Amino acid sequence: MNRSARTGAALAGVAGVIALAGCGAVTVGAPAEEEPSSGAGGSSEPSANEAGYADGTYTAEGSYQTPETIETVSVTVTLEDDVVTAVEVTGDPQARESRQYQGQFIAGIADEVVGVDIDDLAVDRVAGSSLTSGGFNEAIKRIKQDAAA
Amino acid sequence: MTATWRFDAIGTGWRIDTPEPLPEDIREDVSGAIAAFDAAWSRFRGDSLVARLAPGGEAPAPPDAADMLDAYAELGRATGGAVNPLVGASLERLGYDAAYSLRAQDPVAAPADWRARLTWRDGTLRLRGRATIDVGALGKGRLVDRVAELIPGPAVVDASGDLRVRGVPQRVALEHPYDPRRAIGVVTVTDGALCASAANRRAWGDGLHHVLDARTGAPVRTVAATWALAETAMSADAAATALFFEAGPEYAHAHGVDWVRMLTDGRAEWSLGSRIERGEAELFT
Repeated sequence: MNRSARTGAALAGVAGVIALAGCGAVTVGAPAEEEPSSGAGGSSEPSANEAGYADGTYTAEGSYQTPETIETVSVTVTLEDDVVTAVEVTGDPQARESRQYQGQFIAGIADEVVGVDIDDLAVDRVAGSSLTSGGFNEAIKRIKQDAAA
Repeated sequence: MTATWRFDAIGTGWRIDTPEPLPEDIREDVSGAIAAFDAAWSRFRGDSLVARLAPGGEAPAPPDAADMLDAYAELGRATGGAVNPLVGASLERLGYDAAYSLRAQDPVAAPADWRARLTWRDGTLRLRGRATIDVGALGKGRLVDRVAELIPGPAVVDASGDLRVRGVPQRVALEHPYDPRRAIGVVTVTDGALCASAANRRAWGDGLHHVLDARTGAPVRTVAATWALAETAMSADAAATALFFEAGPEYAHAHGVDWVRMLTDGRAEWSLGSRIERGEAELFT
């Protein structure tokens, strides 16, 4: 199974995982062997930028054990100017049987969610992942500094 | 809403909105309730009850123990053991410890026999053997409920992801887990709770984050973010955790919880009852 979700994802969300990758079969900090996807500016050389993330296509692979099976998943992320322009995930991480079993409790499924710019929505607040604790964020900052050193 | 009170507590940002500023005595009640909860349940301080119980032992059960651990027992049953209140050592093992070391070692599973090790009968909380209690699956929701109960009249209690609303319609954007500038949907909450949980909310490395499968001690990989709507924040928080696992939709159904979740492959799933038809929920799919 091969799914592609094209989103204008911010670097902090996805690339943080890549930049901080420390173990496992992961390609870190270097473009994958294939050419950067079209729209990367026509340059085959990754271009450095202020934040230190080079444009290009990055691939990370991982495997993990569920109680029943060992699952593998491959994630390919395309970066342009610190923005994730494409995310492709290969692998079906959930067993088909359980998916069918749970299906009766799931009212709707969408294969792709692009979303809407929050600035274009009249909302009172946002529920999600961007706000988190001070102590935790401090620790992340420390790790990023360690990783950059 | 004209008055906003912001503060940091239990390691997260809080915001309470009310029509009028809260009087000092109510603020003190709120601060006291949060301090008492933290003193009982924080994994991140050496003098908490769960820290003192970690080597094993017993103590008078704090007021929230029975409700929270009863809910854990049900979550554990529903998820086949994926949710377990003795998961603290598994989190510490991955680096999510009191010092925020964020240095991961190989995962360790939480003790599968936790029901035999941890009991909360007759007002006594008893732990047999060494383990670290972690109520992260629903503890913050419980505390949000406690705080909301202390505030009279219309109010919004928002503890960064756990929201309890009374009498003030709130339009809430569901933040895209991979792009904080975008929303995958919007829900309106007037009386009730919305809890959001995201795997990247507290993530510190290669797939390392705070939502673990207790059976393996490894972080969940298939679900990126969940949102659950329920009457109480504890119920919503518990369902938001359950939805990281395959049994989550059934658990939510059994508890009358509406929900949305986004998988790591970019798909979204939801069960929102009649909220979409009533104009109280919208998904941008």
